[in-house]
Amino acid sequence: MKPMVQGRSILLILALAAPSLAAAETMSFGDAAAILGKSCGKDIDDSCRGVNFDTNRLKDCLYRNQDSMSAPCKADYPRALDAIQKRIAARAVVARQCEYEIVKKCHGKAKEAGKSLECLLATPNVSARCNQAIGDAGYR
Amino acid sequence: MMRPGNIRDICLLGALIMFAALAAPARAQAPVTADDMINRLGGLETAPDLDIAALRQRALDRVKSKTEPVALKRPRIAPELLKLPQLLVEVQFDPDSAIVRPQSYQTLGLIADALVRAAMLPYGFLIVGRTEAAGKREYNLTLSQRRADSIRDVLVTTFKISPKRIQAIGLGEEQLQDANQPASLVNRQIQIVTIAKAP
Repeated sequence: MKPMVQGRSILLILALAAPSLAAAETMSFGDAAAILGKSCGKDIDDSCRGVNFDTNRLKDCLYRNQDSMSAPCKADYPRALDAIQKRIAARAVVARQCEYEIVKKCHGKAKEAGKSLECLLATPNVSARCNQAIGDAGYR
Repeated sequence: MMRPGNIRDICLLGALIMFAALAAPARAQAPVTADDMINRLGGLETAPDLDIAALRQRALDRVKSKTEPVALKRPRIAPELLKLPQLLVEVQFDPDSAIVRPQSYQTLGLIADALVRAAMLPYGFLIVGRTEAAGKREYNLTLSQRRADSIRDVLVTTFKISPKRIQAIGLGEEQLQDANQPASLVNRQIQIVTIAKAP
């Protein structure tokens, strides 16, 4: 019985995770930074003066000052900082999602997306998942 | 009850508001999208032979030797930069500090968006910090270097742009944008210049 239960819980986890995987489109750096500056500008001035636009230091400082934080900042700072991290992380996924196109259509090496990017962008009919990876990384 | 004087005041106020609205766009010419930025930064044919350390020294020497003492019409210390693809951006900092104000976070995000585009990946850039002519020249030179370094730090640390692609230099009031108005705040605009292309 036990493996069955485990199997079910894995299915449940997959089912719960699937919608977030499907909606994985990333936000541009400009938009994410604009949200952070707009929603948290006053909080940063009041509580984090002297901290530059360094996501790790800002996150630490804002987190420490949550008690006195404005409602818009509290709602927006985690998602704005997350959005920046997601867009950076998306770069690492391109080589895997576009492996077929890189090797077959752009004659590049399997794990080196960088050198094939211009070719990928110029190639018609790349797969949907490759297309999404390029967009998510902000290469287009 | 409205006296004729009140109506005149309202008309005057309306005219003032219209004048302000018309005057504002003339000042803000900075690109507002990553696409604008790419259009301005692209198109470097051959990489220039630039020695950033030597340029930094040239600026410091001019400040120390007190040549070109009058700011009005002071020639630019690095006129060669003007021949390269570039854009001007306004970045707000805390007073006398290199900390970027939150209202300029979006601008830095847009710069990062532009630099990440595939079309821009082969290029290297120089961030040029500058000040208007007010206060001490040497202080301005140092402050503008710290501010240019700060923008580079944000691009590298927060947006993970490769540090190999970005250099930073502060030219203080030695690279005036508008030498006919040395005290104007347009002289604080950051210059981003395309200076390198991967083979």
